[in-house]
Amino acid sequence: MVPADMKIIVTGATGYIGVRLTDLARQLGHEVICMTRHAHASDKAWIKFDLLDPAPLELPADTDAVIHLAITPHSRAADPDFEFEATRFLVEATQRAGARMVFVSSQTARQDAPTSYGRLKWQIEQLVGKSGGLSVRPGQVYGGAEKGLFGVLVHLVRTLPVVPAFLPAPKVRPVHVDDLAAVLLGCASVNYPSGTVLCVGSEEPVSMTRFLTTIATVRVRRLRPPIPVPVMAIRILSRMVGPSLRSRLGLVRLMSLIELPDMETTDDLRRTGITLRPLSSGMTVSGNDRRRRLAAEGRALLSYVLKADPAPGLIRRYVRCVETTRSPRPMDLPGIFLRYPAALALLDSPAIRKLDCAGEFAWRLDAAVLLAEATVAGSRRFLEINRPVGRTRSLFRLGHAVHMEAWWRLLALAGRPVVDQIIRKTWQS
Amino acid sequence: MAADFDIIVIGSGPAGVSVSFPLVEAGLKVLMVDGGREPDSPSPSSPFLVGRSEDRSQWKWMIGEDFHALRDDSGSPKMRVPGHAFVFDGFGDANRIGASDYVAIGSLARGGLSNAWGCGVATLSQDEMREFPFPRTELEPSYAAVARRIGISGAENDDMADYFGLDAWADPPIRADALNARLLERYSEIPNAASALGFRLGRSRTAVLQTDRGARKACDLSGNCLWGCDRRSLYTATEDLSALKKHTNFVYRPGFVVEKLIDKNGWHQVLGSGPDGNTTYGAPRLALAAGTLASTRLSLQLIGHRLPVPMQACPSAAFMVWIPVMLGRRREPAFGLGQLSFAMDLAGGAGAFGSLFNPTGIPIAEFSRHMPFRKRFGIDILATLMSSCLAGNVFLPGRLSTATVTLGGSGQLHVQGAYATEVASLMLEAEKLLRRAFRRLGAVMLPGSFTIGRPGGDIHYAATLPMRAAPTIGETDSLGELYGVSGIHVVDGASLTDLTEKSHTLTIMANADRIGRRIVAARSQPAG
Repeated sequence: MVPADMKIIVTGATGYIGVRLTDLARQLGHEVICMTRHAHASDKAWIKFDLLDPAPLELPADTDAVIHLAITPHSRAADPDFEFEATRFLVEATQRAGARMVFVSSQTARQDAPTSYGRLKWQIEQLVGKSGGLSVRPGQVYGGAEKGLFGVLVHLVRTLPVVPAFLPAPKVRPVHVDDLAAVLLGCASVNYPSGTVLCVGSEEPVSMTRFLTTIATVRVRRLRPPIPVPVMAIRILSRMVGPSLRSRLGLVRLMSLIELPDMETTDDLRRTGITLRPLSSGMTVSGNDRRRRLAAEGRALLSYVLKADPAPGLIRRYVRCVETTRSPRPMDLPGIFLRYPAALALLDSPAIRKLDCAGEFAWRLDAAVLLAEATVAGSRRFLEINRPVGRTRSLFRLGHAVHMEAWWRLLALAGRPVVDQIIRKTWQS
Repeated sequence: MAADFDIIVIGSGPAGVSVSFPLVEAGLKVLMVDGGREPDSPSPSSPFLVGRSEDRSQWKWMIGEDFHALRDDSGSPKMRVPGHAFVFDGFGDANRIGASDYVAIGSLARGGLSNAWGCGVATLSQDEMREFPFPRTELEPSYAAVARRIGISGAENDDMADYFGLDAWADPPIRADALNARLLERYSEIPNAASALGFRLGRSRTAVLQTDRGARKACDLSGNCLWGCDRRSLYTATEDLSALKKHTNFVYRPGFVVEKLIDKNGWHQVLGSGPDGNTTYGAPRLALAAGTLASTRLSLQLIGHRLPVPMQACPSAAFMVWIPVMLGRRREPAFGLGQLSFAMDLAGGAGAFGSLFNPTGIPIAEFSRHMPFRKRFGIDILATLMSSCLAGNVFLPGRLSTATVTLGGSGQLHVQGAYATEVASLMLEAEKLLRRAFRRLGAVMLPGSFTIGRPGGDIHYAATLPMRAAPTIGETDSLGELYGVSGIHVVDGASLTDLTEKSHTLTIMANADRIGRRIVAARSQPAG
């Protein structure tokens, strides 16, 4: 893992990724020096760095790593040579200080990329590689503050009544900004073979449409129906307008997004040792839907035992109980049980409850029983307070319960292969 | 050295307060030290059924704000009650007591384990005391004094009167619920029921008030027995502690955990940590009433005895009885401790004793853990069935335990133990006998409900330092005085000579009272 107390220099430290990276590094006890165009009041140590003003520079001799995040802002578009020169000075200074260089490149980096941006990133990767450094190509970075390209997309989804569904659909490889920060910090402390390029993004590509609708449903919480937009139409429009209008309309960026070359990430992710969070989890404002999933789990278990919708306070109590007495992790019950809690009768058999791998499930179910019982609604269900009673009623209730038990036993028997697979997938992974 | 105190009593539980009364009343200067823990969790403020149907914060006393009930895995409903946390917390660590395959429990609380006891009381018969180094008659006045002091109910001219042997000092029983009343009625209709059924049945005798006694009020069937009775109907040693504190020659130092005893030529020092840091108290006499486990550790440490010492505890089991004609009843306010008790004779002369309880106050969640059903339908069944069910327990004699306690190298006490091999067959016999007897009484023992408890789960630890007529190392004389050290009296369960299947608390208290009286008597008549 990451050793504590490194001295790390970060360029672009005030940008979308930079802020999360420096926060995380400081939380882990590292010393962070920011390299930006302007000093910030909070920075004790600061080194001036401007991609448009290449100049030789010196880094502290005890620097452990330099993480190079800075990019030329679109508003200051200029000759890519400036950025290359400035980066060359940085790489040389890093080498002199004996520090590791981690360069944050782009998924568009290619020797024959259609944009000068993609070509420039490729050239810098070569330069960094030769110096013994490492490059990281992030996929579609998302989550956290609404900044960078992610910020632009969230803003679009929030303002437009629909989201474009490009046809054919371009694919992206989302990576949460905090996961990327963790990867970069890891890179800063580990020796990779020189010239290594790590591709970091989801293992399975996600269609641009799904990425945008996830922003709509999880982040913006609005209904944004996808409207098909043929890529061909944008291509034609792009040909029709002149280069300056093309850039102003954002068509250049859009085309580079559409024509993004896919990248293989599985092996590289394994090398970093970091598991990326699922898109639906990372897209929430907290960047983590753990608690929401725990609440969904609690609602399911509690309605299963109560045979009624649990009160919000009871669900919150379940969440707090599990968080404080067990692990804060939800059990990842398959969605069907969250939607139809009655179906939990498939999993909740005395035999399954005794399985080692189901120990946590059995514990949480027992907890849900006691939590549900210790409520006013629970006194009705568990003590038959304020409920009609009588011998006939009771006989009927007993008969009904035994009947239901038998029915679900049969169902569980018939669905045995499915249940076994759920158990394997949910608890034995 | 001038003595500030004539005697130091270690522990404020039933044994500690009982040894203190004769001493204090005779004018001796008595210092009592204890762990001093006090309740820190709310008890229900309204009757159980009212609280359950109305109290929106009922989870605070049923589960606890720190989810105490869900943290405990001891398997006992009593241990899960948040209001009882203070009784058991921290005991093992503070007294350096550990266990394997054994439930080893003690208390640092003011009043000790009596804060969470089942209030069962009984006296030993002359025959049951045959191994004790003193006659039953010597214990009689102490039984009477303690019984009158703590308040006992359950006196009834029934088949259990002789077995309990204390009706002379007891009030009538607390009103039985419909289920228990029905069983007893059926029993009384059977001619010679005791021999016909193979078990004697009668009302339980408990240390619970049936009539008001000053600030303590009679049981009103509020049903909070398990959760904390705010009427103080249930006896706890704290009641006696308040009475003792009225005497000027009685000094109480709570929050003092004894670490070690030192014997210096008959002058005894008690080392421990209290509110003022490490402190030492000294006196010519000590009364050890810290509870069997803690008293045993301190004693073995003092005499440097490191061999395994046998410890008795009652093998126990629990079961459920269903009374079909009562199906469909509404839950009613009921006394939550023992209402009916039974005794029976098993193979090899082993006695078995047990009680029946109304289960209304016990969460269904406790029973649903053991139901071989899906939770959802198990709850359906329990919710409907429990209003016509009783919970029961059975105890066997303590000599059927093979547990030992061993003092370790660094002064810790390790408990290890199991049941004797014959317990399995005796329990089977008891189960069969009960099943048959209950059937005759129109009730059904629920199949699969008879569950044997974990060793030590009864918490009737006793007889580690047994009183003997001719004691040897690791034993005590008829005054509970530790062999080889004069002036240190073990007055709690540790010095009982034998543990029967009966509730043993009253005997411990009577024995402590007896030792207290004998100490006083010895002072007024200095030996030759």
